[in-house]
Amino acid sequence: MLNVENLSISFRTDEGLITPVQGVSFKVEPGKTLGLVGESGSGKSITTKALMRLLPGNASLSGETRITYSAKDGNEVEIHKIKPNARSLRQLRGGEIGMIFQEPMASFSPVYTIGNQMMETIRLHRGCGKREARELAVEMLEKVGISNPSERIDQYPHEMSGGMRQRAMIALALSAGPALLIADEPTTALDVTIQAQVLDLMRDLQRDLGMGMIFITHDLGVIAQIADEVAVMYLGTIVERGATRDVIRSPKHPYTQGLLKAIPSLDTLHDRLSPVPGDIPSPTERPTGCPFHTRCPDFISGICDINTPFEVSPVAGRSVRCWLHSDVQGGRSAA
Amino acid sequence: MSTSDILIEVKNLEVLFPIRKKKLFSSEVRQLRAVDGVSFDIKRGETVGLVGESGSGKTTVGRAILRAIDPTGGDVVFHTNGNDVDLARVEGEELRKFRQHMNMVFSEGPVQLSTLAADRLRLFRSKMSLVFQDPYSSLNPRMTVRDIIAEPLIASGMMKDRDAIDARVREIAGRCKLNLEHLRRFPHAFSGGQRQRICIARALVSRPDFVVCDESVSALDVSIQAEIVNLLKDLQEEMGVAFLFIAHDLSVVAQMSHRVAVMYVGKFVEYAPTEKLFFEPKHPYTHALLSAIPQADPDADFNPIRLEGEIPNPLDAPSGCRFHSRCPFARERCASEVPEWREVASEHFVACHFTEEFEFSRPNRNTKN
Repeated sequence: MLNVENLSISFRTDEGLITPVQGVSFKVEPGKTLGLVGESGSGKSITTKALMRLLPGNASLSGETRITYSAKDGNEVEIHKIKPNARSLRQLRGGEIGMIFQEPMASFSPVYTIGNQMMETIRLHRGCGKREARELAVEMLEKVGISNPSERIDQYPHEMSGGMRQRAMIALALSAGPALLIADEPTTALDVTIQAQVLDLMRDLQRDLGMGMIFITHDLGVIAQIADEVAVMYLGTIVERGATRDVIRSPKHPYTQGLLKAIPSLDTLHDRLSPVPGDIPSPTERPTGCPFHTRCPDFISGICDINTPFEVSPVAGRSVRCWLHSDVQGGRSAA
Repeated sequence: MSTSDILIEVKNLEVLFPIRKKKLFSSEVRQLRAVDGVSFDIKRGETVGLVGESGSGKTTVGRAILRAIDPTGGDVVFHTNGNDVDLARVEGEELRKFRQHMNMVFSEGPVQLSTLAADRLRLFRSKMSLVFQDPYSSLNPRMTVRDIIAEPLIASGMMKDRDAIDARVREIAGRCKLNLEHLRRFPHAFSGGQRQRICIARALVSRPDFVVCDESVSALDVSIQAEIVNLLKDLQEEMGVAFLFIAHDLSVVAQMSHRVAVMYVGKFVEYAPTEKLFFEPKHPYTHALLSAIPQADPDADFNPIRLEGEIPNPLDAPSGCRFHSRCPFARERCASEVPEWREVASEHFVACHFTEEFEFSRPNRNTKN
């Protein structure tokens, strides 16, 4: 459904050209959820913004980037080639690919009612009249579990609680009928009880509507509950990928292992937590070789700091970028 | 621990915010009961976790103890070592004498914080401190790290000598694992984890007995979060400081705290030692909250208890037990009678009429163990 190959994004800044995303490839299938995990600064959000062509003006995609998307009418769209002001881009944003952001308060306009904003979307993408759009909006709000939808629709975003607003945000994204939903940390700002409700809701809606979904989060607990497949990002590259269950059960990359160990668990209440040592380097000071070698406990001097590891597949359905799992000799000659 | 180890005693703390609703010719004033009769104590060198959904009043409790918000009722008593001089009643000449010997002041008896006048409160600020959630907005971008960390010493008038201040700042920065060269830089040069370490150094520089950490690790990535939790634990061991650790992430609270309190719409529903609270919860709300923690384990059985409806608006909080409108076990008595705050087991406090009937265990236990 969505196929991303060799996505690299560069930004022109005062300190020169920086490339926060390098050679990212992934696929999303209809009805499946891909989880994107990583620390802040790992390029998760920029990657998904590129899919919607929402990057700021100083960003550019590299020549090898291919983003192909099969639209609802069966046509193949090459997203990386669309002109910034093209009509097809409008249809793509919202109509084909919907997006939910972390802060629902920041994504609604505070001066229009929820209904007003939903109806605008529905009328644009479905081309129906005002009354029909309103009915659809009420139906959508009901679907996401908002009680009294016909009254709530005339409320302003500030009149709703956080969980309610996030549901309204989901209803807004779904009201245009997207085939692919990108959810950027949709539950991070919510309390656990509401988080559990929103995750439940998203799972149900996905099953009913058969949408593909990209779910960005830094919480591996959430990933375990919602994603079919997971991709772990570090400094703009995917370091490990595979079925969620396999990756969490037997992580191959030292970074994934570190992330999993850092999670506080109720089983080890009095032990010290084990953080991944060091800080994530800034994109202007990208390490040579494997980007993780500066923090890696299993770092091999002379290999990891010089050569960039390529993606290998130690087990079927898994891939990892790490010299520990590749043939070291082959790596030398390739670099 | 004996009662003499108690550092802070909170009795029936109450914070009301007046909410004015303007009409054409009149205005109606209603009271929002943000914190409604909360009692607990914090021991010396202990971490008390405070959890609850947003809007439950966690932050207000923390701030009311520090007198950053004035409580409208109840007592907050700060016990210091030595004999019983109640600073709330110290006046004039005597007070001035105390000010000159700041450290001596703090070795005197219990202090009734909730009624302490503003000018005297300032003395106490160096004994209590706060670490905020967002390390980006809580550091002044125009001050160097050294000045930021030194600020509490200067503001409280605790230290005047520049060299002494420098020495203290360097000592605390080292303990918080900050590079001493960083002291001359400005906050923008630091990452989120480093900034939070600066905030912690600032909070601890006056060697307080008590620090409120309000969602201090919530905005950080897991790995940095783990680092900060370890740092706070180490500092507690070295300096004997007590923490009130407010967070909505229950697993972090479990990791940090000796005892944990659960809050719901302005009231405590349960307060117990960490293991007791997490493994043998006695209140249906605590149980529901624990069941909603997502585990990073694809095989764990994840069945969060679905609570009906939303958290009630504190302006019209439900009658009787505030949780009755969403409680799966609610009966008639729950709607009419406010449950008593009682100690059902040693150090295990619960506010529920029927707690004896429930047998909750830890939800979503890992299958692999």
